[in-house]
Amino acid sequence: MKSEHASNYIFLLYGSIAGIPLLMILYVIFRLIGNGAAAFAAEALLVPAFFVFGILSFIEIFGHEESVPAASLLLKAEGAQYHEGTDSGKSVYLNVKKFNPAKGQFERFSYKVKITRFTSVLDALLTAKAKHDNTLSIRYSCRMGTCGSCGMVVNGKPVLACQTNALDSSKDGAVEIGPMQAHPLLKDLATNFDEFFEEHKSVDSTLYRRNRNEKYKARKVFDMDREEMEKFLPYSYCIMCGLCQDACPVSNSNGNFLGPQALAQVYRYHADKRDQKGTERLEAVDSLSGAWGCEFAGACSKACPKGVDPASAIQLLKSEIMKAKMAGKFKEGA
Amino acid sequence: MNRMELLKYDIIIIGSGIAGFKAAIHASQASKDLKIAVISKLHAMRSHSVSAEGGVSAVLYGKERNDSYDLHAYDTIKGSDYLADQDSVEILVKNAPQEIAFFDHIGVPWNRDEKGIVMQRPFGGMTIPRTVFAADETGFFMMRALYDETKSLGNVDIFHEHFVTTLLMKNKEFAGAYAINLADGSEKIFEAKACIIATGGFARIYGFTTTAHSSTGDGTALAYNAGASLKDMEFVQFHPTGLVPNGILITEAARGEGGYLRNAKGRRFMEDYAKAKMELAPRDIISRAIITEIEKGNGIKHGESDMEHVQLDLTHLDPKKLDERLPMVKDIAMKTIGVDPGKEPLPVRPAAHFTMGGINSDNEGRVLDGAEKAMRGLWAAGEAGCVSVHGANRLGSNSLSECAVWGRIAGEEAAKYAKTQRFADEKILSQLISDEEGRLKSILEKSGDVNPYELKEQLNRVMDTYFYVYRSTGKMKKGIAQLAKIKKQFYSVRVEDKGRIYNTNFRDVLELGNMICLADIVAQCAANRKESRGAHAMLEYTKRDDKKWLKHTIAFKSGDSTQLSYSQVRITRWKPQERKY
Repeated sequence: MKSEHASNYIFLLYGSIAGIPLLMILYVIFRLIGNGAAAFAAEALLVPAFFVFGILSFIEIFGHEESVPAASLLLKAEGAQYHEGTDSGKSVYLNVKKFNPAKGQFERFSYKVKITRFTSVLDALLTAKAKHDNTLSIRYSCRMGTCGSCGMVVNGKPVLACQTNALDSSKDGAVEIGPMQAHPLLKDLATNFDEFFEEHKSVDSTLYRRNRNEKYKARKVFDMDREEMEKFLPYSYCIMCGLCQDACPVSNSNGNFLGPQALAQVYRYHADKRDQKGTERLEAVDSLSGAWGCEFAGACSKACPKGVDPASAIQLLKSEIMKAKMAGKFKEGA
Repeated sequence: MNRMELLKYDIIIIGSGIAGFKAAIHASQASKDLKIAVISKLHAMRSHSVSAEGGVSAVLYGKERNDSYDLHAYDTIKGSDYLADQDSVEILVKNAPQEIAFFDHIGVPWNRDEKGIVMQRPFGGMTIPRTVFAADETGFFMMRALYDETKSLGNVDIFHEHFVTTLLMKNKEFAGAYAINLADGSEKIFEAKACIIATGGFARIYGFTTTAHSSTGDGTALAYNAGASLKDMEFVQFHPTGLVPNGILITEAARGEGGYLRNAKGRRFMEDYAKAKMELAPRDIISRAIITEIEKGNGIKHGESDMEHVQLDLTHLDPKKLDERLPMVKDIAMKTIGVDPGKEPLPVRPAAHFTMGGINSDNEGRVLDGAEKAMRGLWAAGEAGCVSVHGANRLGSNSLSECAVWGRIAGEEAAKYAKTQRFADEKILSQLISDEEGRLKSILEKSGDVNPYELKEQLNRVMDTYFYVYRSTGKMKKGIAQLAKIKKQFYSVRVEDKGRIYNTNFRDVLELGNMICLADIVAQCAANRKESRGAHAMLEYTKRDDKKWLKHTIAFKSGDSTQLSYSQVRITRWKPQERKY
């Protein structure tokens, strides 16, 4: 689940960390037993090992976010095409941490754009893309907080860029922008959602009816009152933006955890009186990678741009699982 | 380099909005043996249907509420300024009610009253409250339920972020589609027996628009280039209440729930334009009223954007109503312009919203060619298609019912067809594929000097200026000349990003090509219609002219240019009358 950009060279770093003392020991042993040629070979190998260690630890410490100096790119970003608008807006710097898939690492770019008090971070980024850097990759569509495309990290917080005001976000004239961290990186600010969608799919998040033909040819709506609707309605606003996953400390450390989005949707369909799945759906998430993996940090609910509160959904899910277990409804629990 | 993948499906559906998913579900249900692919240029659940706010129209209670199919049909036809095909409208109104039940069965939380009865709200041009809703996020709820449903179907595969660049046609018969996987830039060939185009509208040819960035009409352009005809392209709906300065939609439900429109003097000016219906007159009439007020000097100038606007006043509404039925209006206004609609009026002006025109299709959803003959293997549904039920002006909440109804019809019809067909000869395909490969390569590798985003801005400016709410022969002539320049410049567009992974720059250029193609057709169709009907309002020809112009515009490709012809409107029981509200 973690981004894998570091994995290309990290084994080399660990290799050199383990290799250097090993080569030293071998050198001493060969010296002691008087094998001069072998000792020389070990000594010779130590030089590149130290070299690799030095370079890689430098990258590991400094290279993740700024493998290219920001200042030199700043000049390029402020190329000839940029000109000030006529309106009374202000300029801000968008400091963008772009993921470069060819190099497998982050690069920092800074774009100066003109904004007004109404400009969203997404609009500002699109201006930067149009005027300074056509290659900038961003996922976006509705620009009104409904499609769930533009989740990213602005000033350290996972947010929808279209719902975040650029001027309010600027500190000392700059906005810090990077991709979400808990999803694999694709390019620049776009991340890969395959796994996230797979998890959502795997938990059977569909309103289940035994008779599908009847379901699709229905002529009447269900009897349902407001109270019954309230049970699932708060959890049905999920736009699948992935921000809750990005905020969740468990998702960030345990790749097997289904995550707050999928689990909240299990509860959403379980709590819907129209659904006929019964406890089967609960049984499937009665595990540490499921509902019991949640440590109730609540970060997901804070991050959710639609106020879904996955944390509370998961706690309700846990209590439903316990109830079903005690009633002997699970196969192995019976 | 060559990472092309060849996939075989009985049916492919391009587009994953309400119409696309509905088509997938019903085709899947028609036969478990059919293999179906839904191809979306976005993550499939993020299509523009999610932005539909107000609701979906359907006659639910009939006599109890003095409603009937005839009344719904009449409202729709009158709203269309008599350009709708009346037999098609009857299909719409008769099938809409069962779609409400369908969506209830897949999980949509329709708003219910204290007794648990599904509620309906008033909407513009509808005689009585007929619009079913799920708060003011109706489209979103329908989309999420559809996605959750579709992904559970064993015979449907969903391809996220795959951009279809061309339809592979064997003579005039559909044989497959060529797509680029945005994630890694690889090519996928979908060899298929049937194709349903459900890619939505193209209002993004305008700059000030309520629509998502994705509404670029790709499927409409694909169909046009594949030999299909387009119908009534001049009719673009301007929604009266696009929020200034960003164009984000403030739903018509805001007026349905009692909101007022006021000019700079604070006056409810709709009194002068539609005395009986006031703020609930159809959209074309209100949009013209707003622009007229602005031109009379009764507009208000917006500081940051210099846009002239009027006000949508919701301050007199019960705050509870605002929270319960219009939560999104409040959220959008607070977040994007920092205004609480409960305390201050909202600045609004007409914004491009819906394209009534689209791929010429018949009542079964089949795509028609320039001679209005059904093309083999091609269907269209939703905003991408034009059956036509909206004619010259769509009534609010009729689009979601259209998507649901023709999504189902196209899905079932394509399934019937696919069961009887064989795949095309692969040898024929291979030539088409290598042609397309060459075309794309030339766009990607061209060393042009035109910035596509600046060109798009030019296109938007031309459409906003010359093809807006009021049109005139002189202005449109200028617009057409500028569009010709834009077309030329497109040949020198530069794709800066040469990489394969998530190359949105290349996608944007392909979308721009589609938009330029469609804008040009809109312009030609508009310049040719010398009357005022529905959303097409001409300064020189202020009246509807049924004698000369009660007919559909049909546009199709002929060589490198667009040819126009006209076809009869199907009038059954409702004779054209003067349209008053």
